Amino acid sequence: MEQSEDSPLDKKKSHRDRHSGRKAEKKKKKKDAQNPVLGESSDKQRNPKAFAFNSAIRAERRFRRKQDIETKKQHIPVVDRTPIEPPPILIAVVGPPKVGKSTLIKNLIKNFTRTPLTDIKGPVTVVTGKKRRVTFIECNNDINSMIDLAKVADLVLLLCDASFGFEMEVFEFLNICQVHGMPKIMGVLTHLDMIKNSKTLKTTKKTLKHRFWTEVYPGAKLFYLSGILHGEYLRNEIKNLCRFISVMKFRPLQWRTTHSYLLGDRYEDLTNQELIRQNPKCDRHLSLYGYIRGVPLKKETSVHIAGLGDLKIHNISYLPDPCPLPEQIKKRALIEKEKMIYAPFSGVGGIVYDKDAVYIEVGNLQSRSKNPNDENTAFINSLKETKIPLDVKIAEAKIQLFTGGQQLTAEELEENQLPSTENVLLYAKEKDTKDEDDLTASLENELNELRKQNSSSFHEEKVEDSGRIRRKVVFDTAEDLSYNSSDASEDDEQSGSENEDDQVEEVVSTSFEYTDLRRNKDNEIHLKIKNILKEFESTEAESFENNEETVTGNEEDAMEASSDEAEDSNDDEISDNKEKIYDSNIKWKENLSQKAKESFLDRQKSKRNMMKLVYGIFDSKPSTIEENREEDSNKDEDDKIGGLFKKVSRDQEKVKLNKDSMNVTETSLMLPWGTTTRDWLDPQNKVLVANCFVTGKWKESEDAAELLKLDDANDLSDVDSEIFGDFEDLETGQKFNSTKSNSSKDQTAKRKRSHDEKDEEADRQALAEKKRKLKEKFDAEYDDTEKTSYYDDLKISAEKQAQLNKSVFENMPDEVRVQIEGFRAGMYVRMEFENVPAEFVTNFDPTYPLVIGALNMGEENVGFVNVRIKKHRWYSKILKTSDPLIISLGWRRFQTIPLYSKLEDDLKYREQDFLALQVVDSSQDVVKKLGFRIAATGTVQELDKSTQIMKKLKLIGYPLKIYKKTAFIKGMFNSALEVARFEGARIKTVSGIRGQIKKAVSKPEGCFRATFEDKIQLSDIVFCRTWYKVDVPEFYAPVNTLLLPLDKKNAWRGIRTKGEIKRDEGIKNPINKDSLYTPIERKPKPFKPLVIPQKLQKALPYRDKPKHGVKSSERKRGIDRVAVIHEPHEQKVSTMMKMIKTAYEHKQEKLKKETKERLEKHRQEVAAQEASKGRKLKQKKKEVFRNRSKAQIREQKKGNK
Amino acid sequence: MTAVINKNLLTYKGSSFLRQRLILSVLSGKPVRILEIRTADDNPGVSEFEVSLIRLLDKLTNGTIIELDETGTSLYFQPGLLYGGAIDHDCSLQRGIGYYLEALYMLGLFCKQPLVATLRGVTSNPIDPSVDLMKTSMLQTLKKFILDDEGLELKILKRGVLPLGGGEVVFKCPIRKQTRPVQLLDAGMVKRIRGTAYALRVSPALANRMVDSAKGILLKFIPDVYINTDQCKGKQSGKSPGFGIHLMAETTNGVIYSAEQVSNVVSSGEEPSLPEDVGAGAAQRLLYEIYLGGVTDSTSQSLAILCMALGQKDVSKMITGPLTEYSIWFLRHLKEFFGVTFKLENHLSDEECEGTGSDKVSLTCVGIGCSNISKRTI
Repeated sequence: MEQSEDSPLDKKKSHRDRHSGRKAEKKKKKKDAQNPVLGESSDKQRNPKAFAFNSAIRAERRFRRKQDIETKKQHIPVVDRTPIEPPPILIAVVGPPKVGKSTLIKNLIKNFTRTPLTDIKGPVTVVTGKKRRVTFIECNNDINSMIDLAKVADLVLLLCDASFGFEMEVFEFLNICQVHGMPKIMGVLTHLDMIKNSKTLKTTKKTLKHRFWTEVYPGAKLFYLSGILHGEYLRNEIKNLCRFISVMKFRPLQWRTTHSYLLGDRYEDLTNQELIRQNPKCDRHLSLYGYIRGVPLKKETSVHIAGLGDLKIHNISYLPDPCPLPEQIKKRALIEKEKMIYAPFSGVGGIVYDKDAVYIEVGNLQSRSKNPNDENTAFINSLKETKIPLDVKIAEAKIQLFTGGQQLTAEELEENQLPSTENVLLYAKEKDTKDEDDLTASLENELNELRKQNSSSFHEEKVEDSGRIRRKVVFDTAEDLSYNSSDASEDDEQSGSENEDDQVEEVVSTSFEYTDLRRNKDNEIHLKIKNILKEFESTEAESFENNEETVTGNEEDAMEASSDEAEDSNDDEISDNKEKIYDSNIKWKENLSQKAKESFLDRQKSKRNMMKLVYGIFDSKPSTIEENREEDSNKDEDDKIGGLFKKVSRDQEKVKLNKDSMNVTETSLMLPWGTTTRDWLDPQNKVLVANCFVTGKWKESEDAAELLKLDDANDLSDVDSEIFGDFEDLETGQKFNSTKSNSSKDQTAKRKRSHDEKDEEADRQALAEKKRKLKEKFDAEYDDTEKTSYYDDLKISAEKQAQLNKSVFENMPDEVRVQIEGFRAGMYVRMEFENVPAEFVTNFDPTYPLVIGALNMGEENVGFVNVRIKKHRWYSKILKTSDPLIISLGWRRFQTIPLYSKLEDDLKYREQDFLALQVVDSSQDVVKKLGFRIAATGTVQELDKSTQIMKKLKLIGYPLKIYKKTAFIKGMFNSALEVARFEGARIKTVSGIRGQIKKAVSKPEGCFRATFEDKIQLSDIVFCRTWYKVDVPEFYAPVNTLLLPLDKKNAWRGIRTKGEIKRDEGIKNPINKDSLYTPIERKPKPFKPLVIPQKLQKALPYRDKPKHGVKSSERKRGIDRVAVIHEPHEQKVSTMMKMIKTAYEHKQEKLKKETKERLEKHRQEVAAQEASKGRKLKQKKKEVFRNRSKAQIREQKKGNK
Repeated sequence: MTAVINKNLLTYKGSSFLRQRLILSVLSGKPVRILEIRTADDNPGVSEFEVSLIRLLDKLTNGTIIELDETGTSLYFQPGLLYGGAIDHDCSLQRGIGYYLEALYMLGLFCKQPLVATLRGVTSNPIDPSVDLMKTSMLQTLKKFILDDEGLELKILKRGVLPLGGGEVVFKCPIRKQTRPVQLLDAGMVKRIRGTAYALRVSPALANRMVDSAKGILLKFIPDVYINTDQCKGKQSGKSPGFGIHLMAETTNGVIYSAEQVSNVVSSGEEPSLPEDVGAGAAQRLLYEIYLGGVTDSTSQSLAILCMALGQKDVSKMITGPLTEYSIWFLRHLKEFFGVTFKLENHLSDEECEGTGSDKVSLTCVGIGCSNISKRTI
C-alpha cells in the first residue's frame, strides 16, 4: 500500500478479458470455428507445441529426477503373512515415569469399552471395532521391558512430558526400536497445561516436534494432550487418538514375518501342590496363554521367554478366543455387548476356557465392592488373594450353607460331606487317571461340546488331577449374561446361590485330592500299566504304518493301482483302529453311530489316506493309551488279559518287521535301473502315456486341433463375417455347449467331423464365439495394461503368494490345519512348560511383559557370532575387549564378553569394520552416571563354530655380527628350539631389507643365522611378523530378569567389568615406566670426520682427491684487494693505451652509425623506384584495357547493326 | 524305525536311510545317534561307503563331532556348521558318485562358502542315480527353488563304471540365503527326448547299437529324439570296461524325466549284457518315468521336498507322481527333524484326461523359514 501511495503512476491496471458483450462473443465464435472438436480440451491438447520440451538435456534430467523420486519411494515387496483373523494389535505405551502412561491407557480403554478399569496390570485386550482388536500394555521404566516390548509392539505411543522435554528414556527406546525393527511410533505430548505462556507453548511444541521428526521420520505423527480434567485427559483428544489407532495400518517387519511370538497375558501354575509343599523351590510346571503373532508357530519349536531363557514347549493347544471379534456385522458400530475386554492379570475377562476346565471371572474387586458384606464375594475374594496357600485359605474361608445357618469352615464341611459324595470321589479318580499330556484333540472336542452346551446349562464337574485346585463350574448362559448386566440384583442373588454350590463342591474336591495323594501306590501301579500300554500303542501305530508302507514299497503294480488298493487293504485295519479311538473319545458323547458315520466319511477323503500313508496314524491323537485302558477296564477281566496277550504278540511281530526294514539299502531310485518295467509298446500300456507327449491330445484350453480349427474359423469368418455377426448373440451359448460335449465324447474322431450342414454351422458359430472370447482376453491382457515394471511384477507375485497363503488351508478343520501349518497367528493358545524355575512364579509381576518368542531353526545352537558394531556416540565410555556387555540379539538378552577385532587384508588397513549388536548396560547405579545406557548397536554378519581372530605379533632382534649378506641376530628367541620352529621364516629390517631365518647357532642361546637381500647394518632392528590365535572367551549368561524379586527386577547383575573389579578390590594397575610422560632431550649428534685411506687417495683422480688446501673460490674471497702503484712510465703507457682504445671505440661507433644511415637511404630509394615503376605499369594497363573495351563495344555495335 | 527324541537328540536303530538322517541332521543342527547298525549281518557295522559319506560330511562342515564305537554298530553324529569351499573326495566304489552327490545337492546351497567339490568314483551303477541324471533332471529341480542359478553346475570330467570306477566330476554350487516358495502345478507334455550313450573301454559301435534300439522304441511316441554318443578316450573312460545310456525327456514346462541303464559287470560274474537290451531297457524306464509324471522325476522328489520344506514361511505347492518309498521316508524324517508336515492329496486335475500317466500326488507345505545362517552378510 505504501508503495502504491508513493508511486501511484507505477501501478497499472491489469488487462481484463471481456466475458460478455459483442467482442467476447465474437472471440468465442472465432475460437469455436478454429477447433470445433477441441472445444473443451485442455491447454496442453490445444497447444501441444507450447508444452513440448525445449531442451533435450533438461527433459532428460527431469525424467531422471522423476524416476529417482519414484524409485526412492519403492520398498521391496514383502509377502503379507497376516492371517484373515489377525491377532490383536499390540500397542505399547512407553515413556519415562510420571508422564501419564497409566492415565492414557485408562482413558483409551474407557473410550473403547465404556467401562473404566482402575487397576491395570499387564496387557489389556479390547475389541475396538468390527475387525480390530487392540492389546494395550504399559512399559515400565526398565530397559529390559523396553527392549522386550520394542521387539513385539506393533504401535508405540511414546509419551513425553512437554513441560520437561524429551528424556533419555525416550531416546534409548527409539534407539532400541531402530535396531530391532522399527514399529510404528506415535508421539504423545502430555503436561502441556503446565506451560502457561502461549508463546513458549508454541515454540516448545515446535522444537519437540522437529526433534521427534529427526528421530523417527519427518512428518511422524505427534499428538498433543493439552491437559487433565478430573484426572482424565480431554475427551475429544482421546477420541481423536482412538480414531487414529483404529485406522492405522502397519507394514510387516522382517523379523516378525519370519518368527512367531506371543505376549503372555495369563499364566497358570500346574505343579502338583504336594510337590510344592515338600519343596517350595521345586521346578514348576506352567501354562502360559496368549495370542500367536507373526507367523504360524510349529509345535516342535523351542521358544525363548525373554528374561527367563530357552524352553521347550511341552504341550500346546489352541483355545477358543477369549476376546473374539463380533461374529456378524450388522450395524456400523459395535453393540455394547461386543465391546469385549480381556485382561486376566488385571482380573477382567469373561469366561476363560482352559484345557480341562472353564473359569468365569467374577469381575474385579472394585466392581464387586458394592456389597462387600455378601458372603459369597467375601469367600471368593479371600480365595483370590494368593499370598497364602490355597489349602490354608480354603480351610480358613468360611461359608454359610443356609441363610441363618452356622458358618462352616472347610474341615467341618469335609466331615459333613464325606459320606454323601462317594460317587464324586469315584469320578475324580477316573479323571485322575487321565494323563497330563492328554490328547489335544479330545480337548478340542470337549471344548466344542462345551460351547455347544453353553446355550443350555452346563453341569460338567471338573476336578483336576495333579493336585492343582480348580473351581468346578456350574453355570447357565443366563448367568454369564448376568455378569455383564450390573443392575439385575435378582440375577446376582441367583448366581450367588450357585456360587454357593460351587464352593461346596470345590471344598469337597480338594479334600479328595488329598485322599488321592494318599493313594500314591495305586497311582504307581496305574502308571506302570500306562507305560506298558503306551509302548504297545506306539508299536501298534508303527506296525500299521509299516503295513501301509510295505504296500507302497512293494510291487510297482501296487503302486500304479495307487492308493485305491492300498486303501482297501488297509481300510479294515484303519477302521478298527479308528473305531477304537473314536470309542474312547466319545464315551461321554451320545451319538455314537453318527460319529462313526462321520469318521467313515472322513476316511473316504483320499487326502487323509495319503497322509496316513506317510505319517502313519496322523489323525488320531499321539497317545490314546488312557482311553484304551479305560476301555479295557470296562471289559471283562478275561478280555483284558486276552487283549494284552494279543498286543504282546503283535509287538513281537512288529519287532521282527522292524528288523527286516532296519538295514535296508538306501537309494533314492524307485527301483534299481536294471529292473524291467511293463512293456510300454504294448498298445494297452501305450494308451496310458499317449497323452503325456505333445503328440498326444492336449488339454481343452491348449489343444492344437482346437487352435487349428480356430484358425480355420478365422478365415471363414473373414469371408462371411456379416452373416454370423448378426445372430451370434442368439444361439451361441447353446451351440457352444453342444460342441463341447461332442468333443469330450469322441476325442479321437474330432478332426473328422461329420459334414452335416447343421453341425458345421453350429461348429462355426461356436468357434466364432470362442474366438471372440479369446480376443477379449488378449485385449484385456495386452491393450489396457500399462507397461509393467520389474517392481510391479515383484509386487504382484508377493500379493499372489500372500493370497495363496491365506487360501490354501482355509477349508481345513483346525486340528488338521494346526498340524500342517502350525498354530497360525491370531489363535489363542495355551502352552505348557516344564521345569520352570520356581522364582518365575514366586516373583511374578504382571507389569513386566511376558514375551515368548519362537526360535527358528539354527537359532538354538549358537557358536561364535561375528557382528559389525558401532559404538553409540552418546555412550560416554570406551568399549574394551574382555569387558562384559549385555546384548539383546533376536529374542534373547544375554551378557557376554565381546572381542573386538577388525578385518585386515594383505595390503593396508581398511576402514575399521565394526561389529553390530544392541548392547545394553543396565545396572542401576551406572545408569545415572552413564546418561545413555546403550553402548553400541550393530548387525550380525556370520555365525561359526570356530573363530579365526589373530593377533599380530612382532618379534624383535638385533644384529650381533654382520658378514656380507649374512648376519647373526640375537634377542629374537630364547632358545635354539624356538629358532628351529621358525626356520625359513621371513624377517625384515626396519629399513626394509628382507631376509630369512636360516639356522640357530649354539652360542649365545637363541641367536640365529639369517640371510638378507642386502647387507644390513649393526644399528638395524630386525623383526619377524607372526600371528597369534586369540581365544574368544565363551561366556553366555542370559539376563533372567523375570526371576528376580520384585524390588530387584531392575538391578540384574552379571559379571563385573575389569574396571569394576579393580575398583572394588582396590587393585591398581602396575605403572609401566615407558608409558610415563617425560621431557624429551635430544642431543645434537657429533659425526666423525670422513677418513679416506692414503692408498685410496693416491689412486683417485685429482678431481676426487680430498683437497687439503683452500679452495680457489674461497681463496679469492679471503684475500683483500691490494692497491697497485704503477711506475711513471708504466702509468704513461697505460693512459696512452686507454686513450687509443677510447678513440678506436668511438671511431667504430661512428662508422656503424653511418652505415646504418646509408643503408636506410638506399632502401628508400629502391622503394621509390619500385613505386614509380608500378604506377607506370598501371597506367599502361589502364590504357590497354580501355582500348580493348572500346573495341569490343565497337564490335558489338557492329554486330547489332 | 521312528526316532526316539530326547530333547534335541534323535536316536534311530538300523542303517536304513542313514544318508537322509545325516543330511537332515546337518541341516537342522540336531545330533543323531544311530544304534544297531547291521548287528545281525555278516559284516556288522557301518560299511565302507557310509564311512566315506561321513568323511565327506566332515569335510563339508566345521565342528562336526563323530563318534563311532569299536564294532562300528553305533554312531553318534553331532553336526557342525556347513562350511563348503573346495572339497576333494574319493568316493567309495561300493556306491556311485550319485550317492554322495545327492547329499551335496541338498547341502550345497546352505554353506558358508560356494561349494566346489571334486568327486571321484563310479559315475553310473545300477542302484544310484548316475551323474548324468544328477546333471539333467536333478539340477533342473534344484534350479526351480533358487532365483538365480549362476554358478550351479556339474561337470563330468571322466566316466567310470564298476568295478574299478575312475570317474570324476566337479560340482559347483553357489550359496543362497534361502530357497523360494514354488507353485509347480503343471508338468507339461514331453516335447523332446535327448540322451547320451557311452561306451567305455569297449567298441564304440556298442554305443550306436544302444542308440538304435532306444530310438526304435521312443520314436513310436514322439519324433523329436536325439541321442548323442559320448566317445570317451584314454583316461576319460575310467578304469573298467562297460557301456550305458542315459535318456531324458523334456516337457513343455521344462521338467526333465530321466532314465538310464548300464551294462552288467562281467568281472563280478554277471552275464554280459547286450547293448540292444540296455538301450531298450533305458527307453522303457524313461517311458515309465513319463508315466509316473509330476514336476520332478521320481529320483529327485526328495530334493524338491526338502527345498519346499526349507523355504520361506510361505505356502509351496507341487505335484508329483506317486511318492517313492525313499521320499515317503524323507517326509517322515522331515517331520522328525523339522516338525514339517506336508499336506498330501491325490491330485485331481480339473480337466479329466485319459492317458496322462499315473495318479498324481499334490504336496503342499508351509516352509519352515530356514535361512542360511552361516552365510556371511556384508
